[in-house]
Amino acid sequence: MAATTPADAKIVAQQFPTTPRANRARHILGYWRHPVAQALVKAFLTIFVTTTITFFLIRLMPGNPIDIKIDELTKDGLMTYQEARAQAASLFSIDLDRPVFEQYLSFVGNLAHGNIGYSFISQGTPVMSIVLAVLPWTLFSVGTGLLFSFSIGVFLGLFAAYNRNTKIDHILSLGGSIISAVPNYFIALLIVIVLGVELRWIPITQMRGATSPGMQPGFTPAFIGDVLFHAALPISVFFLATLGHWILGMKSATINALEEDYVNAARARGLSDGRIMTAYVGRNAVLPLVTQLAITAGLAIGGSILIEQYFVYQGVGLRLQAAVTQRDYPVMQGILLMVTLSVVIANLAADLLYSKLDPRIGRAGGATGA
Amino acid sequence: MTPILSVRDLSIDYRTRRGPVHAVRDVSFDIAKGETVAIIGESGSGKTTLAVSFIRLSPRSAKITKGQILYTNDKETVDIRTLPDDELRQYRWSECAMVFQAALNSFNPVINIWEQFADTARAHGLKDSKKIHARAQELLDLVHLDPARVLTAYPHELSGGMKQRVLIALSLMLEPQLIILDEPTTALDILTQRSIIDLLGTLRKKLGFSMIFISHDLSIAAELADRMITMYAGTVVERASVTDLFYRPRHPYSVGLLRAVPRVSGAMGAVASIPGSPPDLIRLPPGCTYVPRCPVAIPACSEREPDLLPVDMPDHDARCIRWKTVAEQVGNAEVAVAEKIATA
Amino acid sequence: MTAAALPRAGDRTLPRPVESAIEFLRLLSKRPSGLIGFIGIVFFLSLAFIAPLFVPNQESGDITQLYETPSLQHLLGTDNAGRDVLNQIVQGGKEIISVALITAFLTTLVATVLGSISALVGGRFDAALVAIADILLTVPPLIVLIVISALARPTNFLALALVLSLLGWAGLMRQVRAQVLTLKERDYVEAARSLDLGLIHIVFREILPNMRSYIVIHFVLAMTGAIYAQVALIILGLVPFSGKNWALMLYFAQTQGAFYFNDAFWFVFSPILAIILLQLSLVLFVNALEDIFNPRLRSS
Repeated sequence: MAATTPADAKIVAQQFPTTPRANRARHILGYWRHPVAQALVKAFLTIFVTTTITFFLIRLMPGNPIDIKIDELTKDGLMTYQEARAQAASLFSIDLDRPVFEQYLSFVGNLAHGNIGYSFISQGTPVMSIVLAVLPWTLFSVGTGLLFSFSIGVFLGLFAAYNRNTKIDHILSLGGSIISAVPNYFIALLIVIVLGVELRWIPITQMRGATSPGMQPGFTPAFIGDVLFHAALPISVFFLATLGHWILGMKSATINALEEDYVNAARARGLSDGRIMTAYVGRNAVLPLVTQLAITAGLAIGGSILIEQYFVYQGVGLRLQAAVTQRDYPVMQGILLMVTLSVVIANLAADLLYSKLDPRIGRAGGATGA
Repeated sequence: MTPILSVRDLSIDYRTRRGPVHAVRDVSFDIAKGETVAIIGESGSGKTTLAVSFIRLSPRSAKITKGQILYTNDKETVDIRTLPDDELRQYRWSECAMVFQAALNSFNPVINIWEQFADTARAHGLKDSKKIHARAQELLDLVHLDPARVLTAYPHELSGGMKQRVLIALSLMLEPQLIILDEPTTALDILTQRSIIDLLGTLRKKLGFSMIFISHDLSIAAELADRMITMYAGTVVERASVTDLFYRPRHPYSVGLLRAVPRVSGAMGAVASIPGSPPDLIRLPPGCTYVPRCPVAIPACSEREPDLLPVDMPDHDARCIRWKTVAEQVGNAEVAVAEKIATA
Repeated sequence: MTAAALPRAGDRTLPRPVESAIEFLRLLSKRPSGLIGFIGIVFFLSLAFIAPLFVPNQESGDITQLYETPSLQHLLGTDNAGRDVLNQIVQGGKEIISVALITAFLTTLVATVLGSISALVGGRFDAALVAIADILLTVPPLIVLIVISALARPTNFLALALVLSLLGWAGLMRQVRAQVLTLKERDYVEAARSLDLGLIHIVFREILPNMRSYIVIHFVLAMTGAIYAQVALIILGLVPFSGKNWALMLYFAQTQGAFYFNDAFWFVFSPILAIILLQLSLVLFVNALEDIFNPRLRSS
């Protein structure tokens, strides 16, 4: 019974009640069952697999970037093949003379030291520093947007479920469906061309960039205010793009929770509707949504490639787009790795949060004694 | 003495697409202080619908079309039907506590047992955590559970039997006058059933509350009840004391139920289930609803549904115009009817 | 009982597929948003596949009419080379929808097969597949797609569909697997009595019909995902398509700076609107489907 995520574990836990055999198995797999261990191993595996696949993609695909680079360098006749090969190899931090497996090991070794190659375009600049300069901006805007959309969306979804089939429910549900249907990059594009260019309601030229030119970084109110000003549009886009999903998801989860026996039992005990709504219905309904937080973040980061382009916001998406245009493969690879790492960490955090919220998963669980 | 709960001509309908389902029809009975009444019937007889209406927790599609539910404690009598919402909330659990079927899912899975005790107490105005805690410990002791272990536990960590005990303990928290238990032992194994029944018996003697319990299981009635009501197709078909019903049933359905219980000591081959199935509660026949399955039915039975008629024993009614025939077949002996049929 | 009194199998007023179609439309009409979505889908399918048969493919435009605002002659205006925008909209849906259909089909197929096999076989194979699915779900899909496309450069839409479906099967696969697992436990006792072949047979006959609703819903959702991804890839210029395509219109618009040019508004806005309306139709339709297939969510 491989239950690898909380969602899966819930399905498994519901289907397979405790039997003596399962209890024994549980005891043996005692440590493996602990959610923290599972989550860590899963995270590690994800990163491991991603790096491996990236390595082989780069090395082995037809028309792979290393060969392209070599061709490019030797094209003008300014370099010999050997020199070009050496340079390409150093840019990717790969030794081309050694067997593939050893190359792989040194690649992984380099990774462990934080060395993910050097940019093709800006010669000699370590990819890691390039990525670290832009990643926080994206994480900030995505994170803030998601934070708002989750809290507001969950509340609205709960409200819609409690007022089912009324006008407000129809508006919320339809609204949620509509905004979830619009691709997130289009929300950004529409803001630019409709609100910015056509109607001139938003000063998009002023809001370009992550910060205003000449602004000194620091914990000053001026700087923070400036950052927020520039991040307002990306944050709004991420907010709108994910809001619908939370509204609809929470509405459906709440409807299911309201049908549970313990809700009726709580009413029979004279508990107030307010208490039931928050601690009995709400807390149970929100659980499946927590498992989706990281996935939603991943999708949002994906859209940032275009979103940041439209707002000229110097985050990881804009940098990736530049790298793609310039065929700067080390940077592309580096961004893929670091973004995956970020999402994996976010996933881990979400899994841990879930195991804290749902006591059935957080502990070793199971009925004991009569 | 006024009965603590007096149900008068209660009728409840469910709204469905095909039409109203008459789930409860003209039910009347009383329960006195300290008395235990068992409501027995098969699935779909309306017993749960009836019970749930006593705390006004019926689903939205259910509607009380007529009747009264009069609840009395020492001070006053109220009609539950017209009780204002905030008084209703107070009434629930402090006056009348209902423990549902399948205690397995009666607890909020994400908060621990102590929180659920505290929630209940706080909902009724008790704020002092220390006092609540002391009371919880006292109650859990009463039901033979270890408070230290149970209070910090989460519902999924307890077995079915334990949860049922916790629910019983919880139900006693505000010292209600009336406790309603819906199928208290159905989902449990036989040994646990035994312990729960014993527990209920002891608690009742000790604390003196009235009990209504609903079951399809006659044996629990035999053990704990003072009076019994059998329900069929939404209405009461017989009302009697437990001994009367077991030894001197007067309605063919009650007889059928008794016959259907296998006996540990009885002869083989004497058990018989009642052939046929209950009627459609949307389109009810004009006469007695039991006619299709009744061994003593005559044409007059199908003409109109009989009222509850008093029979030859005191405080004993049966909704059957042929009760005398049933009495002849069953007799008045001290031997339990089931035993008699088995040896016949 | 005479033979005439018994209904015979051949005795129907309408052929069965027509009957269930009518029943389906009846259920759908009770959910106005779903009906609108359905009509939208039909509209776009006709627009994409049927309309081009009637509307001639314009070769080049009138260069005296660059970036015209909408008029009776050009209902949506013209683009940077004087070509009629409406014409491009009519022509531009076919590729997008075709890729979406193929991708959704492949994704659903792979997910169903892998999910069922994984649940049936169990053991390490199952654990490995679930791990792979988990990893695929974790990695931000668009970024991976971009990296892959940058390296592999799909040149026709079949290749693009293949690349897209490489990543999309994980979600449905997990659901199919969960479903098969429950059925496996349920039928286990009975299946143990029959031959091993019987188990697979039973399961495939029992599961797939039960999962019909899941699969249809997921198919439509996969389409929306495919549209999202391919539009992004095309706008980024990673997929060198020739021909007409809504997303390609946006790619050209971007490279020509048309975003910031007021006159070009309709040229930019029309394909965006078309794509959004298509996605919206799919989403509204799928919501209604979920409502129809899930009796608990039905508002009674």
